[in-house]
Amino acid sequence: MGLYLKKRKRFLKKVLLGLILFSSGAAVFSALSLFLKQRAGLLWISHPLFLLLMMTLVSVTLYKPLDSAVTQIFRNYFNRKKTFRQITLMNLAEELALILDLKELANLIVNSFGEVLQLKTVALAVPCRMRGDFEITAAYGWSVSDYRKIRLPDSSAMLTFLRQNGPHVQVRERAVRMMSWQDANKLTQDFDALRAAWIIPLYVKDELTGFLAFSAFSPDAVFDESDFQFFREFARGVAKSIRNALSVQELKAANHELQDIQSQLIQSTKIKAIEQLATGIAHEIHNPLTIISGKAQVLLLKKDRAALDQQVEEVLKTIVKQTKRAADITRKLLMFSQGSGAPKEPLKLEQILDDTIALVSYQTSLDGIEIAKTIGSGIPRFYGNVHELREVFLNLILNAVQSIGSQGRIHVEMVYQAVDEILTVQISDTGPGIDQDHIEKLFNPFFTTRHDAVGLGLFVTKQIVHRYGGSIRVESQKGSGSLFIVRFPITASSQPIAQREEAVPLSLFPEGL
Amino acid sequence: MKKLLVVDDEEEICDFLKAFFEEREFDVHTAHSGAQALDSVKSASPQVVLLDVHMPGMDGMSVLRQIKQGYPGVKVIMVTAIETQEKIEEAMRLGADNYITKPLSLEYLEKDVQEKISLLTGKK
Repeated sequence: MGLYLKKRKRFLKKVLLGLILFSSGAAVFSALSLFLKQRAGLLWISHPLFLLLMMTLVSVTLYKPLDSAVTQIFRNYFNRKKTFRQITLMNLAEELALILDLKELANLIVNSFGEVLQLKTVALAVPCRMRGDFEITAAYGWSVSDYRKIRLPDSSAMLTFLRQNGPHVQVRERAVRMMSWQDANKLTQDFDALRAAWIIPLYVKDELTGFLAFSAFSPDAVFDESDFQFFREFARGVAKSIRNALSVQELKAANHELQDIQSQLIQSTKIKAIEQLATGIAHEIHNPLTIISGKAQVLLLKKDRAALDQQVEEVLKTIVKQTKRAADITRKLLMFSQGSGAPKEPLKLEQILDDTIALVSYQTSLDGIEIAKTIGSGIPRFYGNVHELREVFLNLILNAVQSIGSQGRIHVEMVYQAVDEILTVQISDTGPGIDQDHIEKLFNPFFTTRHDAVGLGLFVTKQIVHRYGGSIRVESQKGSGSLFIVRFPITASSQPIAQREEAVPLSLFPEGL
Repeated sequence: MKKLLVVDDEEEICDFLKAFFEEREFDVHTAHSGAQALDSVKSASPQVVLLDVHMPGMDGMSVLRQIKQGYPGVKVIMVTAIETQEKIEEAMRLGADNYITKPLSLEYLEKDVQEKISLLTGKK
């Protein structure tokens, strides 16, 4: 790999050769003239013409062997450098086989290749199965934001060209010269985009698994056939490693997808089971609860209240309250299975959030919890069911209140990003935070860390948020509070699809006791 | 006198509702099935019916339909253990005057029944 030294090298060689020839000619001539003058006394020997003749003779006889000798010396000197580089790169190619992470592998390849050969830019492009094009996974001498933008469609001039020409190293000028000007133009654009003067295609058998595009600092830099030979050998090793890493990546993606589907399946099976259970429970339990609560209420609401003992009255009130609580559990369980049919209307979410905060503010003021609120401007109407959305806010705020216990701060923020058409509600608290291994289970039904809770609040919340096409996630660290982020897409759910024929008045849903 | 019919297959539920409304000077009749309910509507001609949705045999919805067909002046309040949107919509379509869930809030129920009756007497 002489690189751009090559032309200078040739010049140097010529000079050296000339010097040797001249000095040897001169030496032969002076030795001969001295000898002949003394022994034979031939004076014409010193004639310049004879000098010229001698020089020519010596040059002609010595040129060939000297030239090859000098070349040999040169090659030995420069090749030591070259072999060292080759060995480095071949060792690297062997090591690459052990790296299965595509990103790591690609970075190692471009950085080593670029540094060892002292190149200006190196880019490694690999196929992206999902989109069916080629993208640059790692680059040397590029800024990340620059190379991220570059995509080569499968039908691009470059890929077509590389597929036609097999595993040969492609030199920009040579490739372009052989084409019609339209094709050459397209190919030049691709070379430009890749900032490449050379391309090494990476083939595993007949499959193009990527390519290395690179350029040197000097525009005169040249590689020779033996360099290309080496590049091809290097490419074989690299191509295999990349093929492996790509397979591993695909496997990982497939595995993730499978896990997602599996967990969705488990979740939906769970939901189905809970739904059936809840419906059964609601029927079977609400009747006895109605009787217990009803009889207590009959006593409580007796016309002659004076007859009622103070203590008895307390007990009766507790009975009514606790039966309601028991009934609420099944009602919450049922909420997510029936919500899709809940009546929707354009809502002012900020209003609902206000109402919800007002609802808990009495309790929080007793506990020394401060609730701060930030509402962004331009919040659009949200097409939804008021009960469901109140449930979402209430659950999240109550969750924050309960995690704080007493003395702390809750910050509620609602903003609308018009660009993404996304409404974000963030609720942060100064509570003790959530254990990392609890975070995943947080939204599971019946998961709770409190002994007095059922563990349905966040589960129901998540179901409702998902029903509106939204997402909910939590960021928390033990000891530094929690942040719940709910995002609702506005386009999908906020547009009333059609006015409902039968608008059901809200008074149909008595709040009960 | 204000006349009320309570229909529920659970006798205990009928019992406490009867006790509650009788204390408030209602004439309370009870029925434990759909068939009984229709008979009582005919014989006692109540102003308001508290009707359980889930009953063995003829369910609350078909009782509602028949009452509203035969006696359109009678106010019917549906009572159920679970509220589903479809059930509520079906009940509204059949002409139910309200739809409430168990466990019952007697305060609310009393207010609602009084309201229905004053609506009726107001019309007359």
